[in-house]
Amino acid sequence: MPRSRRSRRTLTVVVLVVLSLTIISVDLNGRTHGLTSGVKSVANTLFSPIRGVVVDILSPIGNFFAGSLHYGSLQAENEKLQATVGKMRAEQTEKAFQNAQLSKLMALQNLPYLQSLSTITAQSINQDNSNFTSTITIDKGRSAGVDVGMPVVAAGGLAGQVIQSFHNSAVVQLVNDGLSKVGVTSTNGVVTGTVDGQGPEESMTLDQVMPLTTLQKGEIVYTSGLDASEFPAGIPVARIDKFHTTPGAVQETITVSPEADLSQTLSYVDVVQWTPPP
Amino acid sequence: MDPATVSLRVALRLAVVILILLLVQSTVMLSIRIDGVHPDIVWLLPITAALLDGPETGAIVGFWSGLAFDLILPTPMGLSALVGCLLGYSVGAAANAADRRATWLTPVAALLGSVAADMLFAVLGAIFGQQQMVQINFFALFFVIAASSLILVLPVKRMMRWALLPDGDRRSMVSASSTDGRSW
Repeated sequence: MPRSRRSRRTLTVVVLVVLSLTIISVDLNGRTHGLTSGVKSVANTLFSPIRGVVVDILSPIGNFFAGSLHYGSLQAENEKLQATVGKMRAEQTEKAFQNAQLSKLMALQNLPYLQSLSTITAQSINQDNSNFTSTITIDKGRSAGVDVGMPVVAAGGLAGQVIQSFHNSAVVQLVNDGLSKVGVTSTNGVVTGTVDGQGPEESMTLDQVMPLTTLQKGEIVYTSGLDASEFPAGIPVARIDKFHTTPGAVQETITVSPEADLSQTLSYVDVVQWTPPP
Repeated sequence: MDPATVSLRVALRLAVVILILLLVQSTVMLSIRIDGVHPDIVWLLPITAALLDGPETGAIVGFWSGLAFDLILPTPMGLSALVGCLLGYSVGAAANAADRRATWLTPVAALLGSVAADMLFAVLGAIFGQQQMVQINFFALFFVIAASSLILVLPVKRMMRWALLPDGDRRSMVSASSTDGRSW
């Protein structure tokens, strides 16, 4: 192989590698991240309508085959859901008075309370774009008031947090993502720690809980809303599955599962219009 | 034909192929899940480009296709571009050492290349602070990626041939001599 051609190949690859590393550096640097975020935003704004057309064309075909294959189970699931909706409506009516009382108490303690915050209902249009992250893409973005950092709740509890917001869509990092960390507390305040995501296939852990803390299996932990917290207080996050104290350890070993059902495809979620205090 | 015209034509066709694969990836592939893992067809672009036109073209196609995919991924921007570039160059260099007419070359390059690219993607992601990228079920990931790459490599190669070698023109994207004069 002529030497000049080999040199040119090497030069091309070196230039491309350096260019890639530069883009990664720009993206990961907090001060210049806005640049790559802006490019992604423009690209997503342009790409989303094209993708939407393809989905509109392909969905009926896919749904037809899926529906015909699972008609019986879908009918049973529908009946079960209708029964659940009826039960929840009854409970909601009963709890209206209690909620009003609780809102007053929370206001007295100067704590943000989810039900006093406005929410934006959004539909999940994509789940896990990458095999390496636990995220969903929703169909509401900056134009609807969805901004980076806003908490996202689903049936049951906290689903995650908005990490990227484009014009008409946004990316939500789910609580089981490996980079997710949520400050939590129990109802009686005995347990205070951080729920750490360990990846979509792994159980979440509750960290920074002192050894020999009194714990109960099935106990629910809520967002703590402490100073500089990224979430308002009182959103159910996870339920304690297992715990044990390892001799000599500086913290309890606790495994938890998310209160929001992340195993199913999240069809609809609520984005809470709340941003962390500066 | 004027080389500049060929390059522009090739670039446009490449852009079309990348867009088609981007759409297929973000619609059809995302709906196919085995043990929570979906196929990644992005790596087939640099692999097939490198097999058809050598390491330099493989690296260039890998960079641009990776950058395009980075725009829709929540992972750091530029990571797919970096992996795609290294993948394209490595496959092209390895293919230069082998007999390009061998029938086993394309499926083996697709299988090994895709799995290696995903592994590199996860490791580099972790190095760049995305520790969650190594906290996944790699067994399921490699199985799904390997199987999907084996199935889809031939259609993608056909599309890449259409993009890089318009009307049977064997002129390379980067230069007429970069493929060492070997036949495809």
